[in-house]
Amino acid sequence: MTTDPEAAPQQVTAGDADHRLHPMSWLFVTVQYIKAFIVPLVVVVVFGRRGEGMHELWGLLGVVGLVGASLWRYWTYRYGVVGDALVVRSGRLERSLRVIPFARIHNVGLEQNLLHRLFGVAEVRLESAGGQKPEAEMRVLKLADALALEALIRHRGQAADAGADQAMASATPLLHLPAGEIVRLGLISNRGMVVVAAAVAAVFQFGGGNLIEDYAEQSARHALGWANGHQLGTGEYAFAAITLLLVLLALVRLLSVLLALLQFFGFTLSEHGRRLTVERGLLARWRTSASRRRIQAWTLRETLLHRLFRRRSLEVDTAVSQQGQQQRALRDVAPVATPGVCDALIDHLLPKGDWTALHWQSVPDVAWWRLFLPALMWNALLTAIVCSGFGRWGLLLLLWLPWSAFKARQHARRIGYALGSELVAVREGWWSRHWRFAEIDKLQALQLVRSPVDRHFGTATLRLDTAGAHATAPPLRIRFLPESEARELLARLSQELRRRPLRW
Amino acid sequence: MEPLELAPSPAADTDWNPLPPRARPLFLLGGAIWMTLSGGVAGLVLALLGSSRIDAIPRTALVMAGIGLFALAGAAIGLWLGHKAHRYTFWRLDGEGLAVRRGRLWQRETRVPVTRVQHLDLKRGPWQRRRALATLVVHTAGTAHGAVSVPNLDLEDAEHLRDTLGRQIDRDDD
Repeated sequence: MTTDPEAAPQQVTAGDADHRLHPMSWLFVTVQYIKAFIVPLVVVVVFGRRGEGMHELWGLLGVVGLVGASLWRYWTYRYGVVGDALVVRSGRLERSLRVIPFARIHNVGLEQNLLHRLFGVAEVRLESAGGQKPEAEMRVLKLADALALEALIRHRGQAADAGADQAMASATPLLHLPAGEIVRLGLISNRGMVVVAAAVAAVFQFGGGNLIEDYAEQSARHALGWANGHQLGTGEYAFAAITLLLVLLALVRLLSVLLALLQFFGFTLSEHGRRLTVERGLLARWRTSASRRRIQAWTLRETLLHRLFRRRSLEVDTAVSQQGQQQRALRDVAPVATPGVCDALIDHLLPKGDWTALHWQSVPDVAWWRLFLPALMWNALLTAIVCSGFGRWGLLLLLWLPWSAFKARQHARRIGYALGSELVAVREGWWSRHWRFAEIDKLQALQLVRSPVDRHFGTATLRLDTAGAHATAPPLRIRFLPESEARELLARLSQELRRRPLRW
Repeated sequence: MEPLELAPSPAADTDWNPLPPRARPLFLLGGAIWMTLSGGVAGLVLALLGSSRIDAIPRTALVMAGIGLFALAGAAIGLWLGHKAHRYTFWRLDGEGLAVRRGRLWQRETRVPVTRVQHLDLKRGPWQRRRALATLVVHTAGTAHGAVSVPNLDLEDAEHLRDTLGRQIDRDDD
C-alpha cells in the first residue's frame, strides 16, 4: 500500500490510527493465501499424476512463510477516524499513512464467508471511483466494528456530501426477495450453464482431457452393450437421447437454482437516507452499500424466460475499481421482480427522471433492413459454401431468410429512445429485451458515428459514454437515427452537459 | 477530391480546424509502417503456402518476391490511408468543449464537454518534437471513450487547448 501524499492533511499523525484489526485476522489472511495456493496445488497433484516423489508439495513450505507475513500485517496495520476521513497506517519498515475522505468512498462492501461467520467477523472493502485497487481492504474486523464503520461512513460521508438528511437515517426496505423468487431467478438465469462451461474448460485446461475422453468412451461402450442386449428400434433410441438431454438440462437448471440460492438468498435492498444497501447470501453473506447518486447507468432486462415468469431484472453500474470482483460492487438492484415493481423502484430512486412518463420515439422504418442486412450476407455466404459441398440441397438454407426478416422487423419496431429533462434512455431487442438509461448528469463523452452504410441511408449512431459501464451491459447508443436528428440530439446534449458540472 | 461532405453543424460550422500541413509526413509514416509490416507478413504467409504448389520458381525467390510485392502494396495503401487520416482530422474548441472529427469513410465525431474533462496529456515523440507537433489526450471518466486523442496537433494549438481545458478543471474544483 502506498501513501497518497496530496490527500494527507498536515494535522493527521500516525497516532490517530489507533484501531487494530481483529486478533484472529492473521488466520483469515493465511486462509486466503492458502486458498489461492492450494487450488493449483490440488490440481497439479490430482491431474498431474507424475508420481515421482512429492516435489510439488515443497510449496507448502511457503505457507509457513505466509503465516508469518499475515502476523506481520496484523501487527503493523492500524486504522482510525479523524474528522471526516479514515486514516490507515500500515507497514513498519516501509511505512505508509493513507487518508481517505468519507465523501470520496463510493462503495462499502462487507463480506462474510462461513469461517468469518463462525468467528463473528467480516471483511471490509472501501472503494472510490476508478483505480485498480480498493482504497482500503480490512481483513478482518469484528462484525460490530465493521457495521459501525459502515454507519460512520454513511453519516459523515453524507454530511460532507449534501448536508443533513439524517431524519431518514433509519433503514427502509425497498425490496425483499422471498425464497420462491430466488428459485425463479435461478430458473431464469443461466448461472448453471456458465458454471458447467467454466468447469469443462478448466478440466480440459489442466490436462484432464483424458479423464473426460475415457469416461465418455466407457459410457458409450456401456450404452452400446446395454442397447445390444435389448434390441431397440430407432424410436426408442431417439426417445432415450431426448430423455437424456432433458435430464441434463434439468440438472443444469437445478444447479442454477442452487447457485442463485447461494448468492441471493435473503436478498434485501434497503435505503438509509441517500445510500442503498444490499444484503444477500446463504452461506457467505455480502453486504454492499453505495450512495444513490454514485449510480452511473441503469439496465433493465427482460429475456424470454423473464417474460414466461412475468419478471424483469434491474442492474446498475457504479464507478468503482474495475478489478474488484463483481460480488462486491453494488450491481443487482432487483435481481428479479415484476415489471411493476421495477418501474416503481426506478421512479423511487430517480424521482426526477420521470421514467414511467418518458416519451419514447422510434427510429425510421429503414432500420429493419439495416438489421436484416448482416443476416442476409451471412446466409448468402453459408448457402454458397453448403451448395458447393452438397449441391442444390444447400438452397434449403434460404428458407431461414423469411424468419430473419421477420425477426429484424420485430426488433426494428421495438427500437426506441427517449430524452427527458433528466434522463436519456434507449430500448432494444425483441426476444431478449433491454432498456438502458442514464441521468444526463452522468454522461461523459458523446460520439456520433457514421459508417459507409449509414452514409448511404443518411443515418447516424449516437453513442453516449458513462463511467463504470460493465462489459456485459448493453451499450448506451441510439442507432439508425436520421443524421439531422442525431446532430440535433448531439448539440442539445452537449449544451446540457456544458451547463451541468459533473457530480460524482 | 471533394473537400468535406459532412453537413455543417448548426452551432458553429466554420471553425473546424484542420491539422497543420507539416503533420502530414507523420501520418504518412505512421500509416506506411504498419501497413508495410502487415503486408510483408501477409506476403510471407501466402508465398510459403504457394511455394508448395509452384515448382517452376525456387522457393527463396518466391518468398522474397511475395514479401517485397505485398510490402510495397501495403506501403502504398498505408500512405494513402495516412494521407486521408491527415486530411480528414479536424478539431474545434467552442464554449461547450472539445470536438474532434475523424475519418471520411468511417466518420467519427467525438465531443468532450468541458465539464467532463478529468485530466489532460500532451505527448511528444522525437519526430513530433522536431516538427513542433504534439498529441493531445483528453481523459474523461467514461468507459469506452475514456481517452479522446487528437494526434499531431500544432504545438501552440495543443498547449492552448490544454491550458483552456485545464483551467476549467480548476474552476470546477473550487
